[in-house]
Formats: sequence, structure tokens, C-alpha cells
Amino acid sequence: MPNARVLRDIKARNVVKTSEVLRKAYLCVARNETLSPQVRHQAQLQLNTFGKYTRPTTVKNRCTESGRGRGIISEFALCRYQFRLKALNLDLPGVRKASW
Amino acid sequence: MAAAIRPMRLAALTRSRCSIFQTAYNPTSARTGAKYLRARLRGPSMVKYYTPEANIAQIMRQWPGLEIINFAEEERLRDVEDKKKRGKGAPKKAKEKGDSRRASRRR
Repeated sequence: MPNARVLRDIKARNVVKTSEVLRKAYLCVARNETLSPQVRHQAQLQLNTFGKYTRPTTVKNRCTESGRGRGIISEFALCRYQFRLKALNLDLPGVRKASW
Repeated sequence: MAAAIRPMRLAALTRSRCSIFQTAYNPTSARTGAKYLRARLRGPSMVKYYTPEANIAQIMRQWPGLEIINFAEEERLRDVEDKKKRGKGAPKKAKEKGDSRRASRRR
């Protein structure tokens, strides 16, 4: 069972996906300078009614192994400690401990 | 020496280029919000970040005939029983508002 922060992140990802198209449509109208200010304002008001998790910026790449939010090596989606453990365990192809 | 090209000619050139390559002719660079529509959808790749985990409780609910033991749930129930025996269980739920522990608390 992943920790609560990971569950929240999964939820945010799903919400972003479901509301993405509608949000983009409103964004396009609200940011369009060729439309009338009234229409743009209405679109912006609609955008404000969207929930917190509909914004893609609320999504955070967390460690897929431990759920840690900081020190993520994005190529492997692991935090630095899990990366070290897995690399030393030879679970990551092509990753070896440096020695010279 | 080549003669200076008039701005009108340049504009015409841009317009015809736009019609050939099917891009929007926007000489004043007004914001049309097209960049939001042009960008790819990010949701589909976003939901794929975590590898999905099998939900044992859900499987058991879906196929009640299967003989699976949810070890985590069993352990939790055992812990709850243990706590109750030691008098450390969760307090009883209040039936009415007056019964709640919060109401009887001294201020």
C-alpha cells in the first residue's frame, strides 16, 4: 500500500487527465486577445471553479519505491537512496558503482 | 545593388507562406490561445508514472469464491482486537450530539 502522499498524487494525476481537455478549452478562450473581454472574463471565472488537483502543476514525481518527494532521480523515478540500493543490487541495467 | 523591399511586399510574402504551410497569419503577434490547443495532452503519460498495485480487497469483493487471505487486513484486525483488550480501542461513536465526548468535555 503506497503512502498517503503517493495516493494523493495518483488522485491528482487522474483528475488532471479527466479535466485536461475542458481546462485547455477554457484556457484558450481566456487567453485569446482577439475575443471580447466579457467572454474572456467568463472563461476565466469558469477556470477558477476547477478544483486544486485539476492543475498539472500539483502533480509531483515521487519515488515509485518509497514515495519520497525529494532527491528523485527522474530517469529511474527513484529517490537517491532507493536508487543506491537498487544499483548496488544490480537491479538497474547499465548502472554500476564508480571505482577507479 | 538590390532595391529595398517594401513592407507591403514582405507582408504579402508572409501571407502566402502562411497559406502554403497552413499556419495562422498573425502579423501583430496577438495572443490567440493557440499554444494551449497545440500542446500535447499530458494526462495520459502522467497517469502511467506509478506502476499499478493489485488491490487484494477489491479482488476479493469481485470474486468472493476465491480463497485468498488478505494478510495486511488480518493483521490490522488482530491489532484492533489487541488494542481493545488492553482498553486502548477507539471510543464509542455517539448516537446523538449530546452523547459526544466533545460535549461533555470541561472547558
